[in-house]
Formats: sequence, structure tokens, C-alpha cells
Amino acid sequence: MDVFKKLVRKGYVSSQTKISADKLQDITGMQIPLSLELNENLQTLQTIYENCLYVVFHNFLISGKTNALLIFIEGLSDKDMINEYVLTPLSQGTSEVQESTPIVQNKISLSNHKEVKTFEEVIEQVSMGNPVLLIDKEMNGIALNLSKWEHRSIQEPVAEPIIKGPREGFTETLSVNMSLLLRKIKSPLFKMNSVKLGRYTQTQIVVAYIEGLADPNLVQEVMNRLERIDMDGVLESGYIEEMIEDNPFSPFPQLLTTERPDAVAAQLLEGRVSILVDGTPIVIVVPTTLFSLLQSPEDYYQRFMISSMIRWLRYLFVVIALVAPSVYVAILTYHQEMVPTTLLLSISKSREDIPFPAFFEALLMEITFEALREAGIRLPKQVGSAVSIVGALVIGQAATAAGLVSSPMVMVVALTGIASFMIPHYSTGVSFRLLRFPLMILAGILGLLGVVLGMITIVIHLCTLRSFGVPYMTPLAPMKTRDMKDVLVRAPWWMLKTRPHLTGAGNKYRQSPGEIPGSSKGDESE
Amino acid sequence: MIEKGKISSLQMAMIMYPVVVATGDLFIPAVTAKHANRDLWISPLWGSLIGFFVVYIIFQLHKLFPKETLIQQTERIFGRIVGKIIGISFLFVMLQINSQIIRQYGQFVGNVFLVKTPILIVIGSIVLVCGFAVRGGLEVIARCAQLFVPIVLLTWVLFFILLIPDMEPRNMLPIMAKGILPSIKGAIPQAAIFEHFVLLTFMLPYLTDLKKGMKWGVISVFITMLTLVLITMSSLFIFGDITSELAFPVMIAIRYIEMAGFIEHLEALMMAIWVIGTFLKISTYYYVFVLGISQWLHLSDYRPMVFPSGFLLIAFSIWVATDVQEFLHFLSTVSYFQSASFEIGIPTILLLAALAQKKIRKNKEGKKG
Amino acid sequence: MKLSYLFICGAVFILLSGCWDRVEVNDLALILGSAVDKNKNNTIEISAQVFIPKKSGGGEQGGMSSDGGNGNTLVRSATGVTVADALSKLKMKLPREAFWGHSKILVIGEKMAEEGISDLVDFMMRSPEARVRKKVFISKGSAKHTLELISPLERSTVEVLREMTEIHSVMDTPIKRLAQMMAGNANAAAVPWIEILPPEPDVKKNQTVPYIKGTAIFKKDKMVGHIDDKVTQGVLWLRNEMRTTTISVAPSEAEGLVTLNVIKNKSELVPKINDNQWSITVKINPVASLIENTTNLSYKNPNFSNELEKDLNEAIENRVKKALAQVQKEMNADIFGFSEAFYRKYPKKWEQTKDQWNEIFPKVKVYVQVASKLVSTGQADTGISRPEKEVKKK
Repeated sequence: MDVFKKLVRKGYVSSQTKISADKLQDITGMQIPLSLELNENLQTLQTIYENCLYVVFHNFLISGKTNALLIFIEGLSDKDMINEYVLTPLSQGTSEVQESTPIVQNKISLSNHKEVKTFEEVIEQVSMGNPVLLIDKEMNGIALNLSKWEHRSIQEPVAEPIIKGPREGFTETLSVNMSLLLRKIKSPLFKMNSVKLGRYTQTQIVVAYIEGLADPNLVQEVMNRLERIDMDGVLESGYIEEMIEDNPFSPFPQLLTTERPDAVAAQLLEGRVSILVDGTPIVIVVPTTLFSLLQSPEDYYQRFMISSMIRWLRYLFVVIALVAPSVYVAILTYHQEMVPTTLLLSISKSREDIPFPAFFEALLMEITFEALREAGIRLPKQVGSAVSIVGALVIGQAATAAGLVSSPMVMVVALTGIASFMIPHYSTGVSFRLLRFPLMILAGILGLLGVVLGMITIVIHLCTLRSFGVPYMTPLAPMKTRDMKDVLVRAPWWMLKTRPHLTGAGNKYRQSPGEIPGSSKGDESE
Repeated sequence: MIEKGKISSLQMAMIMYPVVVATGDLFIPAVTAKHANRDLWISPLWGSLIGFFVVYIIFQLHKLFPKETLIQQTERIFGRIVGKIIGISFLFVMLQINSQIIRQYGQFVGNVFLVKTPILIVIGSIVLVCGFAVRGGLEVIARCAQLFVPIVLLTWVLFFILLIPDMEPRNMLPIMAKGILPSIKGAIPQAAIFEHFVLLTFMLPYLTDLKKGMKWGVISVFITMLTLVLITMSSLFIFGDITSELAFPVMIAIRYIEMAGFIEHLEALMMAIWVIGTFLKISTYYYVFVLGISQWLHLSDYRPMVFPSGFLLIAFSIWVATDVQEFLHFLSTVSYFQSASFEIGIPTILLLAALAQKKIRKNKEGKKG
Repeated sequence: MKLSYLFICGAVFILLSGCWDRVEVNDLALILGSAVDKNKNNTIEISAQVFIPKKSGGGEQGGMSSDGGNGNTLVRSATGVTVADALSKLKMKLPREAFWGHSKILVIGEKMAEEGISDLVDFMMRSPEARVRKKVFISKGSAKHTLELISPLERSTVEVLREMTEIHSVMDTPIKRLAQMMAGNANAAAVPWIEILPPEPDVKKNQTVPYIKGTAIFKKDKMVGHIDDKVTQGVLWLRNEMRTTTISVAPSEAEGLVTLNVIKNKSELVPKINDNQWSITVKINPVASLIENTTNLSYKNPNFSNELEKDLNEAIENRVKKALAQVQKEMNADIFGFSEAFYRKYPKKWEQTKDQWNEIFPKVKVYVQVASKLVSTGQADTGISRPEKEVKKK
């Protein structure tokens, strides 16, 4: 009876199924093996798949003699291949004797099949889209790897476009994603382990890492945390993200999510571990630091001076995105002497007829801007660009003209908006956007002191965060000078000799020494 | 070990830097100027000697009793009862000094920037934020220090550069016109802040690289001294004789900056930087107190002590003095003795006692064998 | 549960009590400059020039209107028995909170200056809102009138005065400098002296500007007199504060005048005490360029230019001597920094005799050594507008 409960718990069987307990044999206590009688198996499976319109039970005779049952889910299996390569060869010919599994296997002109011994496995294979062939009087069934379904073609990731670099993005099919990674890393040391999560969704999760580069403890920790998950369904990597992160109450993401295979491959080469989830193109990479979250893969494809400049620009604008409205409000209401006189006079002119205090005006504008941004995502593409023009120009203009907000405020809000778009990783950008509201409130209460205290609190929080054991603010704090050259600037590739400290410590060097290029280097081989 | 974190000696040096400089750049120059006048920039040089001395003593104590802080060491040297008495009085003085610092902070911010805000809010907010940091532990404080100290340093350099057009180095002359005494008299308030290096005793047990510890401790004292010399020199160059008449010469100097027609009145920015420095200072003292009390009571974890200590700190900072004049008077007279006797005196006594004990033990063993 | 309770309490506490120090920009009266006068009945009158933020109509994005200073500012005054008293009365007259953070100048009336300004300086430096860089001026007559003028070019008279000290070679005294001078060893100070430019005949009486015409000299904290432009120049040469100036000399080799523009200058004071004879050598090293030549000499000839340099030296020396005559001998006010120079070099001797500085100062012998350098004779030579035979080349 407890085996039955296990099936129920695992989601294979609804508790209302009318399977009688004595039909179930409890050999190992864990699995329910197939019976030798095809009819029994058929009955059991039909009961399990009662009211499942999508499952096809195809009874046929192999070589005119042996009873066989083919179970598959229409829509998930390749019907043409089934007909051509399975049913046709098997139905042909005659045989006097009962055909056994190995003989049948030889008749099927397919490369990939595996044996299934228990009902659990049958259900698993059928759900994955692999047809299962059950033969009368045989202990094991054969699962054929013939899954095929409609899926999206490989396109450029919409949320992470770059100018210079590959334009492939992950899709929703796990095998396609795996193949994309395999095209980048072609070493047998590239390992992939699989986990199935979700009671009803049975989502396949693949943990990929490069042995020798990734810390084995890290890999083990990832597997532990994944296996701990026990929920109804895992539809998206976001579900997993929330279930395995170190600090669920932090506004900052502690895992990197990306749609780009090249980004994932680069992270893997630095000794990190990636988690691919079937059904979503978003792949998770752990561990991560704040600085990884502020990088774009394009940083590494452009020349290093340009990338360094852009990186600095990005850091500057991250700070602006966080504090610009608060500092504006603070200075304007508490520290007016800091504003240059000319500017202050013109600001006071433009604020003359505004009914709200600066703080409320800022809050109003920021909330409106956030609403506009969210609305812009939901709009159909054709209307989207029109709305951005409408929102930005007309509303801002009209609001100023109506005397609701002052134009310096519109400027500040626009600048903040632009600054937050600079952050390449969407979730991080959202965190910063979110945090500016408490800062604004603090600025309204205590002026610049409030902003400073708020910033200090944020920094304290960042310093306590860890991502799978790696402090979030590495390499700035704790300071690892070796890694700084990839954070403060982007050192040229011939200088990035060592792997990042906390993940690749086991295998320090990633280049042979003396890689700096030069016109004379071409002659060395001679 | 209650504190499970580990820090590097570089982080330790970075933590100690704002501990001294944060108040050293605000309150101290005025007091020093009153005694030393034009020689006030020499005073940090003398004061740093105390700094080196304290660092040395702490290190020697640590060599004798590794992996233990002062509180634990006193119990070892003087036995349980006397050790506990010394320990609790030391901790009490830590609490007191911290509340003085908080009160000074509240006074400064309250009087200059947020005039109408009740001082309780100002004090309460900073203690709350420091409480978060202390709760995170030594590692968090160290990481915050690593992040903030470069920013603070850079801003000071920036201020210095912006003030160069207004500086008159001639104001420094004549050097030591009245002999060496004025600068030494002015060094007393400087020494009072260099004594804060005694806090090292609470960090040494958690260093990952103890061998480099002494080196970084000395570097920390040195850079602190340099910063203070530069700061006092710049106020001297700008203000000359009236430096001693100003309450906060450094702040007024920054207020004086006016460049390119629009960079002006930067003292709010200076306040931001100073708040960051003070945050680090108060957090360190706060952490030392919490850790010390936990060790004194032999607790397994110091985290529950954090917020109650916070309340104590707020209460003490209000009680320290009833009004500004009394507070200033206390600061310029009694507080020197209080801090000196506990921050220099106790470690020295401890070291001497420990060395004496060692010698006696050696003699005993020598006689036996 | 307890934590959220605490949090709510804290939030309510903060939000209910309001933000104490918060001031909206529109609730501020932006004071651009102030003036202090002493009235006949010994009361102090403080006037403040306040900015009027006029919203320049809907639709326009709040740009700065460049229509000059008409009506952009107004002046309010109040009287009281002390400076602080007058200030508090002034606050009553303003519907907005007085904001001194952008007050850039302070004009002190003649009468007040004569009666002593140490209280005023004390007040200014003590105030937490003090702008230590405020520039101080002494006005002839009433200081209030200066503020009430409407300047056609700049936004307000405050701007006019401020720009003048920045650009021209006049005395520039921020309050910090004034405090330093008054507290210093010499107890003497120099502050720019302003008068009102006579208005054009066909405009209103107050459509004119104040301008800097010399320097007011203070001893201790009372004004003892003022010197005119020319003498101020001499003072500036001595104080190493000369920026640019034009000097015309009449060379002896030919008829006509040559005007030179001094571009840079470095002055140095070298004190010397020889058996109770105190002397100072002033070394002045200006760099000049020739801008107008009404003689027919060609200054490409080094002989002529050397002569010219000598003439320039003499001219500067004269100005310095004039300044010394009036300030050192007549007014006995050490605004040149002699006392500082002596203190720096002879601290012990200074300590002994500093109380007698009043007697010693007028007797200090000053040796003026000017060594000017002509770096350019202009873009064209003398022969450009004359026939060649007229030009004297040798």
C-alpha cells in the first residue's frame, strides 16, 4: 500500500485511481515492475491513463506471432519515424516462435533505445515523448528515443542583444540547449548531471560543469540543493532560483540568469556551474558576484580599452540609477547651498507654481515612470514605440506645462531611467530600480544624511550576501587584487592569465604565459 | 570562538584607518590648534608615536596569548576575579567612549546640518545602521571598510586638490617658533585618538595572515598620521592664525571651496563622507563592545547582544553630558585621562604583568631543573 | 511578529512627526547679497537683496530669462540694535525663510566702517550658514543704496560687484581674509571701496552700477581712511595681488607715450633687521607686453626695449612709493604683510617687540627693486603705419 502512496505522491497516479492493491507487487519496495502478461500491463496502464485522451495504445503483432503494445503520446512522438522504423519492420515477416526482446531490438532500425523494467519508467519515458514497446511474455519493455515536437527555432535572445558576438539564444527544449553548449565546449571533461523535479511537471534539470575547473564541493552543493526541492511543478528556472538561493529575502539576485550560450560557456570556463531547465530558455549560473551581474558578454568581445571605458560608464550609471532622484530631492530640500547659484535661481523659477513638495513630485514621477515601463513590456510591438514617444515626450511635456511637475524633475527622472537601462542583467536592474524608492523616502526625511545612511545599509546588506558560499562583493571586498583587473577595467585577454579566485582556485592558469601579442610574435615559430 | 569570521590584515588596516581619521579630521584640529597654533601639523607626528606604541603592545600581548582578545587575556593573567573586574571596566569605558563619539556626531550633524531634527533621531539612526553592520560580524565590517575607505580617501584627495588654489604655505612659517612644546601640547588630543588602535586586540585573533599583521598595523598608523598631517596642514595653509578660532576648521575650509563658478559649498558632500567614516568608527567600537561582553559572559553567540547594546549606546550618549559646554569641557580635560588610562594603561599593565609572570615561571623552572 | 510590530512603530513615528529640516525651494527667500548700515541713532540697518523667481509663462521649460536685472530682485531692510536683532526683524518682513547660503557679498556702509566692524565679522564667521567666501565692500555713504541699484548688464548689483573683483585688479577681500587680517599680527585690513557710478543723463537715477574705486583702510576694526585707484595699485604690487594692469610711460629717447600691459607679476618681501634698523626689500618681477606705441621708436631694437623696461620699473616704483607714503607713513596701517614677513624670519625678535609695531612700522625702510621683463612688442612693429624713414631704429 505504501508503494501506491509513493506513486500518488510522485504524481504518477491520482489517488482516485481504482487500482487494487494486490495487483501491485512489492519487490524492492520502490518500483513496480512490469508483469509478463501483456494484458495485465495493458490494463494497468489503461487505468493509469484513464481519461488521458492523448495517450495512444497500439496493439499489434510482431511477425504475425507475438503480441506487442506500443504506447506513445501523440504530439510528443515522431509518428512518421514510428511507422517507418518500428511498426513496419516489426510487422513484416513471419516467425514461428515467440520473439524475445533482443531479437526485436535488432529488427528496429533505430540507434537509441533503452530498456524499461518498471511502470514508473514506462510512465516516465512516455511522458518524455519516447514510445514504449511492451512485448508479451517479456520482462522488460523497450523505450525508443523518438520524441519530437514543435518548438521555436534558435533566435537572438530578445532581452540580451549585443552588437558584436554570436546571436544564438537558448530555446525551450533542453536537448537543443545542451547541444548549444556542447558546440562551445568540446571536452570530455564537460560533465552534465540530470535531476527531475516537480511532481506533476517532471521537469528535467541538467547541471553542467567542467570537471577540474569547478570546485567539486560546489557541484555537490548544487546537486544537494536541487534534490531538496519538492514541489508541484517547476515551470521555469525562476522557481528553482528562489528555492536554492542563499538569502531569499534579499532584493538582489544571487544567481546569474542568461539566455546566451556564449555567456554560459564563459562562466563555465571560469569554474562555475550552470543549471539548465527544460521548458525555458533561461539558464542559471552559480555562483555569482555583483560584478558578474553588471557585466555583459559583449565586454569580452570588444577591445579592452573600449570595454573598460564602457564598464566605468556602466558603474557610474548604476550609481546614478540608484541615487539620482534621492540626491536631487535631498539637495533641493535640505542643502540648497550646494546648488550653483545660477542653477538654483532657475530651478526656483521653474518650481514656482508647482503644488507639490519636491519629494512628492519625485515620488509621483518615478512611480509613473515605472508604470510606463511595465506597461511598455506588455504592449504589442506595433504600439510599443508609439507609447514610448507618447510617454516620454508628450506626458512629460504636458505635465510640465500643466504645472504638475517641474522640468528639472523630468530631467532627473529621465536620466535615472536611462541609467537603469544601462544594466545588462534585467533582474539586477530591477533590484536597483526598486531600491531607489526607499532611498527617496529617506532623502525626504533626513536629506543627504538619509541618503548616506540608506546607502550604507545597502552596502552592509551586500557585504553580508553570499552566493553559494562566495561573498557577493568579491573581488572588491574581500579584496582579491588578482581578480580586480577584470572588475575595475577589462584587462586585455593576454593579461587575463588567472582564473577568478573563488571558483577556479584549483586550476589557476588559463593561458600559457607570454600571450601578449605584437608584430614580432609571428616569427617565433621559426 | 564566538566570531567565526576571518579577515586579512589588509582589511584590519582598512578598518582602523577611519576609526582614527573620522573624528581626527573634524574635532581634533581645533583643539590642537588652540595649543599648537602654527605647529599644529607637527602634532600628529607625535601622536602617532602613541599609535605605534599601542600597536606594539597589543602585538606582544597577542604573541604571548594567541587567538585571544584582551578580555580573555586579562582573565588569564590576573585570574578570574580580578580579570573579570578589569575586563568589565575596560568594556564600560569602551561603551563610554563610543557614546562620546556618537554624541559628538549627533552634535555636529545636528548643529550644522539638520538643525531642527531632534538629536535622538540622528543618534538613533546611526546606531541602528551600525547595529546592522555589527550583526553581520567582523567580516561584514571589514568588507564595508574595504569598500568605503578608498572612496573616503579619494574624496579627501579631491578636496585637497580643490583647495590648492587657496592655500598659502607661508602660513606654516615660522616653524616651531616657540620651540617644541606647543606641538607636543597639541599632540595630546591627537594621542587621544591614536589610542583607538587598542581595538586591534579584538581583531588579531581572527586574522588569516598573522605574520603580516604587524606590518599592516604599522602601515595603518603611518597612513593615518599622514592623512592627519595633510588635513591639519591644509587648514593651516588656508586659515593661518584664525585656525584656532574656528570650531571646525576642516569643514569651513571645505565650505570655502569655490571653483569654476559652480563647484561650491561642498560641505554637505563632506558630511556624507564623514558620516561614512564615523559609521565605520562607531561600528568598530560597537562590535568590540559586543564581542567583549559576549566573551566576558562566555556566551556562545554575540548576536543577541547587538540590539540591547544599541539601546545602551543611545542612552549613554544622551547621558554623557547635559549640554554642549559641559561636554566640551569634559572632552578637553577629563576624557584624555580616561581614554589614556584604559586604552594605553591597561594593555601596558597587562603586558608587564604577563612578562613578569613569565619570568617568575622561568625562574621557578630554572630552580627546579 | 515582534519585529514587524517594531517596524510599524518606527515607520509611524518617522512618518508622523514630519521632516523637520525640510524646506522647499519655493519657501526660501534667496538672498543674493546684504548690506549693513549704521543709522544716525546708532541703530543697525540690514538690507538684503532677494531674488524674485518669476515663472516665465507656461509652455516654456523654465529657462533663465536673460532680460537683465530689471525687477528680478528686490531689497528689504530692517533696523535693530545689534546685527542679530536687525536680522530677526528682517526675517519678519519676508514671507519666506531667509536663505543666506547664496549670499555672495556684504556691503558695509561708510559710517559703520568708521565705527568698527569687529562685531559684524564675528557674527558672520560664527553663523552656521556663513559663507566664508563672501566678499566684503565698503561703500561710500549708504550701503543700502548700492543694493537698490538696477544693473543693465548683470542680473543684480551683487553679480556686478562680484565679477568686478574677479576680473579686475582690485582688492579682493573675502570674509575669511578680512578675519585673518584683523586677527593677525598687524591688526590692519584693506577692503575694496565702492562708489556709485553716475548714471547716464537720460535714465532713471538708480539704473546704474556701483564700481570699485579704491580701497578702504582699517586699523584694528575701524576705518581710518581710503585710498584711490592709483594708490591701490601700489598696494597690490606690494601684496603680490596684481593681476593685469596697464601702465603708460614716456620714454626719454623720443616723443610720445608707450603703453604696456602687465600680464603676470610676482612680488616678494625680504625683511631684514640690522641692529634695530628694520628694513624690507620688495622684489617685484612683472611680465609685460607692449600694446600701444605713439612714439616712432622701433622696439625690435634691444637697446630701446631695455630702456623701456627701465622706464617701466621706474613707473611701478613710483606707484609703490606713493602707496607706501600714504599707507605706511600717513595711515600707519600695515596692510602689506610686513609684520608677517618679519615674524616669519625673525620670530624671536618679533616676540620681543611686537607691541611696538605701531611705532616701528612707519619707520621701516622699504627698498623697492623692480625687474620687469618685456616679452612681446605686439603683433606688428612701429613701421606699420609710418613711412620707413621716420622710424627710429637705432
